[in-house]
Amino acid sequence: MRTRAEAGRQRWAILGFAVAILVLSFVVLKSAYYQLVLTQVLLWAVLSLAWNLLSGYSGYFSFGHAVFWGLGAYTVALGMLYLDLTPWISVPFAALVGAVAGAIIGYPTFRLRGHYFALAMLAYPLATLYVFQWLGYQELALPMKREAPLLYMQFEDPRAYVVLALGLVVAALLISLKVENSRFGMALLAIKQNEPAAEAAGINTWRWKMLALMLSGAIASIAGGLYGVVLLVITPETVFGMLVSAQALILALFGGVGSLWGPVIGAMLLVPLAEGLNAELGDVLPGIQGVVYGIAIIMIILWAPEGVYWRVLDRFSRRAPAPNTPETAVAGIAVNVAPLPRAPAPLGGSLLVLRDVGISFGGLRALDGIDLAIPEGGLYGIIGPNGAGKTTLFNVINGFLAPDRGAINFSGEPITGLRPSQICRRGVGRTFQVVRAFPRMTVLENVIVGAFVGAPDDATARQMALAALDRVGLSAQSSAVAGGLTTRELRLMELARALVPHPRLMLLDETLAGLAHDDLDGILTVIRQLRADGITVVIIEHTMQAMVKLVDHFTVLDHGRLIASGKPDDVVRDPSVIEAYLGKKWVDRVAVSAK
Amino acid sequence: MPFSANDFLQALAAGILVGGAYALMCIGLGIIFGAMRVINFAQGDFLMLGMYAAFYLTTGFGVLAFLGPYGGPIVAAFLAGPIVFAIGWVLHRFIVARVTGAGVAQIAGAGAYGQILVTLGISLILQNGGLIVFGSTPVGIRTPLSRQSWEIGDVLLNQARVVSFFFAVALAGGMYLFLSHTRLGKGLRAAADNPQAAIYMGIDVDRAHRIAWSIGVGITAVAGGLIATFQTFQPYVGFDFVIVMYAGVVLGGLGSNFGAFWGGLLIGVVQQMSTLILPYQLQNTAIFVVFLLIIFLRPQGMFGRLSERT
Amino acid sequence: MNRKLTRRSVTAGLALGALVSPGWGIGLARAQTKTVKIAMIAPLSGPWARQGQLLRMGSDMAVDDINSQGGIKALGGAKIEIIYADAGDSTEKAKNAAQRLLSDHPDLVGGSGAWLSSFTLAVTEVTERAQLPWLTLSYSDAITNRGFKFVFQTSPTADWQAAETLPTAIKLAEAATGKRPKTIGIIQDNTASPVSFGKQLREGGGLDKVGLKPVVDQIFTPPLSDATPLVDKVRSAKPDFLMLLTSAMPDCKLVLEKLDEFKLSKGKVPLVGNGAPFGSPELLKTIGPELLEGLLFSVANWPMKGQEEFIERFKKRTGEPFLTQDGLCGYGDVAILKEALELAGAADKLKVAEAIRTMNLTTGPAAQSFPGPIKFDDKGRRQDVPMIFAQWQKGVPVTVFPTELALAKPFWPSV
Repeated sequence: MRTRAEAGRQRWAILGFAVAILVLSFVVLKSAYYQLVLTQVLLWAVLSLAWNLLSGYSGYFSFGHAVFWGLGAYTVALGMLYLDLTPWISVPFAALVGAVAGAIIGYPTFRLRGHYFALAMLAYPLATLYVFQWLGYQELALPMKREAPLLYMQFEDPRAYVVLALGLVVAALLISLKVENSRFGMALLAIKQNEPAAEAAGINTWRWKMLALMLSGAIASIAGGLYGVVLLVITPETVFGMLVSAQALILALFGGVGSLWGPVIGAMLLVPLAEGLNAELGDVLPGIQGVVYGIAIIMIILWAPEGVYWRVLDRFSRRAPAPNTPETAVAGIAVNVAPLPRAPAPLGGSLLVLRDVGISFGGLRALDGIDLAIPEGGLYGIIGPNGAGKTTLFNVINGFLAPDRGAINFSGEPITGLRPSQICRRGVGRTFQVVRAFPRMTVLENVIVGAFVGAPDDATARQMALAALDRVGLSAQSSAVAGGLTTRELRLMELARALVPHPRLMLLDETLAGLAHDDLDGILTVIRQLRADGITVVIIEHTMQAMVKLVDHFTVLDHGRLIASGKPDDVVRDPSVIEAYLGKKWVDRVAVSAK
Repeated sequence: MPFSANDFLQALAAGILVGGAYALMCIGLGIIFGAMRVINFAQGDFLMLGMYAAFYLTTGFGVLAFLGPYGGPIVAAFLAGPIVFAIGWVLHRFIVARVTGAGVAQIAGAGAYGQILVTLGISLILQNGGLIVFGSTPVGIRTPLSRQSWEIGDVLLNQARVVSFFFAVALAGGMYLFLSHTRLGKGLRAAADNPQAAIYMGIDVDRAHRIAWSIGVGITAVAGGLIATFQTFQPYVGFDFVIVMYAGVVLGGLGSNFGAFWGGLLIGVVQQMSTLILPYQLQNTAIFVVFLLIIFLRPQGMFGRLSERT
Repeated sequence: MNRKLTRRSVTAGLALGALVSPGWGIGLARAQTKTVKIAMIAPLSGPWARQGQLLRMGSDMAVDDINSQGGIKALGGAKIEIIYADAGDSTEKAKNAAQRLLSDHPDLVGGSGAWLSSFTLAVTEVTERAQLPWLTLSYSDAITNRGFKFVFQTSPTADWQAAETLPTAIKLAEAATGKRPKTIGIIQDNTASPVSFGKQLREGGGLDKVGLKPVVDQIFTPPLSDATPLVDKVRSAKPDFLMLLTSAMPDCKLVLEKLDEFKLSKGKVPLVGNGAPFGSPELLKTIGPELLEGLLFSVANWPMKGQEEFIERFKKRTGEPFLTQDGLCGYGDVAILKEALELAGAADKLKVAEAIRTMNLTTGPAAQSFPGPIKFDDKGRRQDVPMIFAQWQKGVPVTVFPTELALAKPFWPSV
């Protein structure tokens, strides 16, 4: 997240850019052809900025942005042909069309992950292409309005189009800047780096993704509308074709994905290059433009996978924020370290209740008939051999999986089937078996993500985050980039993030795994402190030794069922537990030695 | 729109026949995806290379002219396989391997998309390079098979398509045996399921991927060569087939070669039989609809496995 | 391709020569012979590169002919120089090419192109605003429906072609078989020109006017994957003849071969097509002369009677097996511009445009390159143009109708 000062600097940079383009257009470039190319550069930059807003920031790569571009162009064309609608109205209206399209597309498609999302997005513009051909809109030519050209955005002077396109670029840049500096951007970044973690930390990932797609679609469509006005002739292949989607992607990737200026850089470098190549060599080497684009992508992916912008930035500066930022200064100021008040126990005394919970994967019954009642306060261990279903149990409690039978109540209220972010909001915190950090964000930024749940504004979120870091003893590392931390530090950071919204229940999934002996004590102290602060802690482990010393109560899982429950000493001697862990032979041996 | 039983059978036959070629293509794509988890945008362009390889072997340079117009094209189609295998090998060694495989951690900016994008780049180069090298005029292999048919009752079965179908199925069967019974094949599957474990077991994952990639594009190229016996093509014909291939693989289930075969076949049938009830223009739209429905309702397709867990 | 390189090297050589001998160069410029510039925008790369290449062959030949015969007499023997620009494979590229052309050469007096109707639409938006007279062989109605003053369509519009094609086909059928066809099958793709052609047949009442009932009526989206379902319908409905409105060669091949496979070819179902792709050498190469024998197609322009010597000269010069619409129109457009320059008497684009608007040529190379007089109405459309029919006979598509322009006699295919 940028500071105020940085954001201000960027705004000046945008202004400077606008002035430079105007100078270029009005003073330097002489021929109408160059003005046309400049207009196209700017319009493609807007499409790429729109793409970047969704895909660059959230990591959900769209291979089908042409669908928005084309819908925008057709809105303007059909509006003018059938309703005599002036582009001054229909171009802005195209933004609405794009947003609605984004909503319609996003609703089903965001349920998909990874490859499936990419493939589905690929299909939309192509399907739409066929539909428009079928509808009979093979070639639409915007009529020339000789009587009132200005009313219909038909200018004699090509520079007028440069100005309009520039306006769109500036608007898109400002919007991107605003998103980057807000909770919106942070949420998208968290989603990009680690969506499950973001969800568990309370970010409603679905909502933010939808918003991003709708905004992205709106911007792409309005640019497509203006493109239609400039080109004057629209065919389905021209505006819905694969090359449009590819271009949106390539420009952003080349210039610097996920950055503010990347798409603009990409557009300013690649579009004139392609046009120039086409002009000079097009008839001698037909298709040279495609070859160059292809080589550009491959080179970028191999040598500067994040694009020109980040490569250049990496070369000239460090990526982590400077040590003397206000954050650390604030950390020195008195911060709330007092233990949190105990929340009153609900009627019946159980904070978390599971009744006959079960879930299957394929033919495998991963959890079966789980009955669990965890009272408020105290440390509970869930233990079992590998594959017993421990993490699955957490995933079910936490909302990542929905059980196919049974019910889960938290603090007296049912939470079965709720999203993880909603469950987090109700006061359940979680850490993961494999640390799910946001590797490129600083420790502080990682933890702030957790603060969004409860904090009314960003400043409070920052404060809460710093307090949490202090609780786990990581204040000194608040500016370090998470990707470089040790395992111990990572686990503490995760704990801090889960702690920020003051949860009542903490689910710790194999927090002690992979830690050396010395590190263990540090973490155990923190966990014990949590209990002292009144937080109910449920911890999964599969090593007995560490747990025996730590917990008040044990529950043992094996093959998806609860096989024992009780005080640590009793459970350890339970024959069924020993059998589960060590096999029948050992049961007899223990029985022998116990005698 | 009412249609007769004969129309039905004819459309079904047409669908199955064209589906055979699609099935082979899909297997090629499926092998690559199954082994490497890479969405290969360039698959259609390797198909195109296969078509041109077969074309130049028979008609262009007349290398196989001595085999006559019946045998020549089929042999050429099969020879296209090793040729494109070699091209794929080189491409993988120098470009693709750098962004895929066990050794590559998440490339931050492009993430898991690095590999898709590299294949996009390769696709652009192959298509447009093909334009420069081959020219834009559509060409085709001349064989009398393409306009003769066998008759079963009132249903006509185009000979070129029937022949392609049988060879496609034969090759698919061969592939299946190869993958399930040979050491190499099993190694490929292990590398796909769990690259880390495979490394520990001494399997050279990079090499396994390279083999899978090259086989995958080679097989698709053979499918191309077979298609070339009854269809004309130009350098960007690949794109027309990409969506068919993906629809088929997704329908069959990403990660299952068996599924890829049936998926491709089924897509062919859907494509041709959709003309019985939909306007002919929406033939490919029908494929998209099926594609999207599968992705939404049953993303693992017919035979695939459930995707990643938390 | 070879010829292109040769031309390039020859031109390069001449340019080099001119550079090397500056005295001559300057001297030549000062002499009476100056040059007049015209343009051609055509797809020289991408999917339609072949068509652009053919257009270029025709126009290059015209430029050579004109310049070797003394240039433009009204301008003191000024030579014509033709500037080419590549429309590429998208409307954006076509528009850019047009804009670049105009910016780089503000002294252009006229031009022609861009073959594909959507490219032509895009290009003419630019040329109209620059008031540059523009000729085109594209026959989409939209091109001359925009109220433009500087666009001239040498081909009759799709609407008109549709209205003319059917009656003539029926006349030919009647003359040959003595029976008037009652049913028709239509197979078309959904690109722009077939769509307007088809619209005229159905909604425009074209079919009703000639009393034809469509028993097969199928529109497909190219590219065609398999022609079986289409041709199966033809087999069951058995129309008296089949109208093919497919613009891409691969689709033509699939349909024609499928007809053969279903034993509907060689006269069983007479075929009538529309558009120059039906006469392309590539079709011959991929399908072979036997299947094509007897295929009739209507087209805006095709080599006619009186052009025999011209045709031979073209074939010798370019190595092409026969002359097609593209080469002919490429030649003819340049010829028209030359005539316009002669009539205008000045290298001024406005005067050239006016000359085209008012011209009525019936003799001379321009008039000989097109059927009918070179006369444009106020929309830029030609008037009094006979619909040309060509037919494949022994591996060559020859004009067979109207009789005064025919190079061979038509026959109605029958079993």
